[in-house]
Amino acid sequence: MRMKSRQRTIAPGIHLIQECGRHRGGIADAVLARGVDWYREGTELHVPQNAYLLAGDQKTLLFDTLSPAASKTVLAGLEDALDGRSLDYLLISHPDVPHAGNTAQILRRYPGCQLLAPRAGETHALYHLGEAERVGPDDELDLGGLRLRFPEATFLDAAVHTWMTEETSRTLFTVDWLGFPHLGDECLKCVDELDVEIGVSRLEEFHSRVMFWFQYVDPQKVQAATDALAVEFEGYGIAPAHGLPIRQDSARYFALMNEVVQRVADAGRGGVL
Amino acid sequence: MSGVGKEPTDPTLAIELASGVRWVHECYPEPIGHVHVSVFLVETATGHLLIDSGSFYHRDSLARRVGQLTGGRGIEALILSHSDYPHSGNIPSFRRDWGDFEIVASCADADIQGLPYARRVRIGETAEISGRPFTFLDPPLADRSHTTWVFDEASRVLFVADGFGTIHPPDACASSWGELDPDGRAQGVFEFHEQTLPWLRFADPARVMNALHAIFERHAPAWVAPIHGPPIEANDLDAYLLDLSRAIERIAAR
Repeated sequence: MRMKSRQRTIAPGIHLIQECGRHRGGIADAVLARGVDWYREGTELHVPQNAYLLAGDQKTLLFDTLSPAASKTVLAGLEDALDGRSLDYLLISHPDVPHAGNTAQILRRYPGCQLLAPRAGETHALYHLGEAERVGPDDELDLGGLRLRFPEATFLDAAVHTWMTEETSRTLFTVDWLGFPHLGDECLKCVDELDVEIGVSRLEEFHSRVMFWFQYVDPQKVQAATDALAVEFEGYGIAPAHGLPIRQDSARYFALMNEVVQRVADAGRGGVL
Repeated sequence: MSGVGKEPTDPTLAIELASGVRWVHECYPEPIGHVHVSVFLVETATGHLLIDSGSFYHRDSLARRVGQLTGGRGIEALILSHSDYPHSGNIPSFRRDWGDFEIVASCADADIQGLPYARRVRIGETAEISGRPFTFLDPPLADRSHTTWVFDEASRVLFVADGFGTIHPPDACASSWGELDPDGRAQGVFEFHEQTLPWLRFADPARVMNALHAIFERHAPAWVAPIHGPPIEANDLDAYLLDLSRAIERIAAR
């Protein structure tokens, strides 16, 4: 039996394929203890993995692969979103298991697909990326109606890492940055489709775990880097790997992230993800 | 290096650090020098366990060496610092070689990390693995959120995953940190951390160093055992920490 596809279009030619995984009971307990206003007891709480298919007039590219627990999800979502076309490129943002865990399966399904990897970093061969074509800040890839660039990742874990932009729609793919948990009835939505605003508490819940190192930073340095991103990518939408897409008013979220880093620097990490 | 094993360890297979703990070192060549991608073999009352599985890049060599060191029996457990592929890449093949040994990991959602069969341990807890107690610590120097450092209570070896690495010269792959030429050590510490932990560019060096000192006060190690560098004996730890502090200051000043 073919599984139900978990994909949708978020902008012309840009498809979100989402893995929500299981209810995150540990995070739910933590936010209940803090008395946040955005979570209701007994509600499913998810921290998603997102992959994005960019389907231009001439070429197609998949950005990330979801986790090994979602092999069927990504293959079914891809098949739906491609609608009979082939997959031309697979770009791994960074070789982390939840981002790259289905690379082999996807390359087997689409044998003509070219594997792309971040230019940054020195240890590609340790990640089966030694033979991959590398992309970096000086490169541009035209898919036909969709134009991709690969800016340096500002906030990252692994050194082999890239962010991506699509310049026609002005979308910035921020990978591990600007993620946040969502509720069970918010899956596959974009932020502008929610009935509530995403506040600093949701963003903190994610970053105090994934960017645990915020507790060891000089917050002013991070805020200066965030402010520079807000200027460089003014008017861009945000497509994170672990949150819902932010299509409008991204400036608000850059400002919220400046609060988040201060909070984590003051209070320490929130836990493990 | 000091060893207290019952029989001398063949130095071509591993180097003995402390009671029942052996360093099985492998290296990856980079343009500026070599970086270790090692594992550690720990003897237990009933057999052996591994700290991390190494990279598939070194799969054949690690399988051969661990196989010989364990008399062909392999391991009965593996403690994973985190799921990054150079640490976890050989788990499937080792399980094919040696059976479904226990996997111990600290990630919150093992399925998403590709470890549906793992036993979860929590940061801060002490757990017996194959009858030997290990304490799992929150690591100040790490890349992935779910990384744990592992303190072996019996040998007092602290396994520190991606922290405390050093890029070393190609002719010093089997040297401890204290045996490296002092002239190049500080630069090797700097190059490793600048390359491996990009977030240090935002660091407040005092915050990082205070967190490290707090760990060493509570868990005074006989050895600090990184995956990506030569082991650091307790007598050399102050010198390493001085180099590390200066390295973080240089990275954060950029």
